[in-house]
Amino acid sequence: MGVDSTDAVSEPDEAAVAADLVRRIAARDAAAEGELVERYRRGILYLLRRLGALPDLADDLQQETFRIVIERLRHEGLTDPAGLAPFLRGTARNLLIAERRKTARRRTWGDSGELAEAVAPAPSQLQTVLLDEEARIVREMIAELPNDRDREILLRFYVAEEEKERICADLGLDSLHFNRVLFRARQRFKELMERFQKRQGAPGRAG
Amino acid sequence: MDHAYVEENQIADRYVMGTLPAEEAERFENHYLSCPECLDRLELTESVQRGFKRMAGQDAAQLTAAHQLAVVAWLARLGRMRQLGVLLAALLVLAVLPTGFAVRSNTKLAQAHSALKQERQRSVDAGTLQAELEASRRQLAGEHEARTRVEGQLAQAFQPRANVPIVSLVVERGEPEGDGPAVHPSASGWVLLEAPVEPPFQKSYRAVLRDGNGREVSRVPDLQPNERSTLSFSLPTALLPAGAYSVTIEPGGQRFNFRILPPG
Repeated sequence: MGVDSTDAVSEPDEAAVAADLVRRIAARDAAAEGELVERYRRGILYLLRRLGALPDLADDLQQETFRIVIERLRHEGLTDPAGLAPFLRGTARNLLIAERRKTARRRTWGDSGELAEAVAPAPSQLQTVLLDEEARIVREMIAELPNDRDREILLRFYVAEEEKERICADLGLDSLHFNRVLFRARQRFKELMERFQKRQGAPGRAG
Repeated sequence: MDHAYVEENQIADRYVMGTLPAEEAERFENHYLSCPECLDRLELTESVQRGFKRMAGQDAAQLTAAHQLAVVAWLARLGRMRQLGVLLAALLVLAVLPTGFAVRSNTKLAQAHSALKQERQRSVDAGTLQAELEASRRQLAGEHEARTRVEGQLAQAFQPRANVPIVSLVVERGEPEGDGPAVHPSASGWVLLEAPVEPPFQKSYRAVLRDGNGREVSRVPDLQPNERSTLSFSLPTALLPAGAYSVTIEPGGQRFNFRILPPG
């Protein structure tokens, strides 16, 4: 898929940093533990949220992930020190799976309170405002597009979730044009969103 | 993972949509854990996708409302007599449909009755067919009895069931090929199975149940993950005599084991 060739360029950096962190944590370097948390904290939190953990649970599991990983690195190290990221990822996923298993067991006993908590909460007023703003920005961005074909590309990709290859084949496009439309759309969306956030005086995401 | 590759192949978009193949999703996750640029890209992509979906939802709602308003406006534009006409036409359709069905049923019933009468006449005339008629009657009685039994079972199926065992299918850490949970069969006659699935989610899954000898026992299609990222389905205990079983979730091939214990 072309990843391997590019991996060789970028991943040694990550591998070298990871190996260095593993070595220093094994040597009980407290600063290295801080660096580990700082480097991977946001990614682990995003991963847990992506896997469906609600914010509070994601926070708890993130902390537990680092506790387990640091304990392990202090006492046993890693067979492959460069594999720190996959190790962190695996630990976080396993913790979330274990949490779900616990919840499932509790549910076996017919805990209706647990079921009530399981219902996804409705978005707050602030979230609704942000969601509406995102939709408004998309409308503005689409209206600025130079032609209907570019609009169709975005709608088919983001709303109908059609594959890039199929859209390109239907519209007689090359991959480059498709990529360009998506890239520009995202950049424009980002500009408009930043402008909105500036107006509001605070960053915010609806997620 | 190279950022040009991520951009050219819409890796972040496909990851957020859940359409990235599992192996590539895993590589991307390993990459973005320590990559602020990709995390920014992911958050932007989520925001863009939410915007598009929200816009599409708003447009669809407006379109539906517009259609409803158009019907109301059309009705409002009509004179009172025409409005009454539309109302009567609707009532007529509602009245005629059941009547039509009833007439059709009655015709069929009359035809069946006539045929039965002719058959009886022929049976009376032909004494040699009397025995066959008796046999047919016995068969009819047997079918009636079977039907009554099935109706009873059907009525029972609509009754609430208590004490249905729930089997949470999980892979124990470090024991991917363990025996899994064990449950006693219950008087309810059913077992509820739950199996976790992980994002990216497929549109639908199917579960294949096999016994300890690997023979397929049942197949449950069209499973969709619920808000807890689990698939759930129930099976009659009649399908599950005591023994070891496995459930394979497809696509993905994740396998879970469980056991049904002997009664008592």
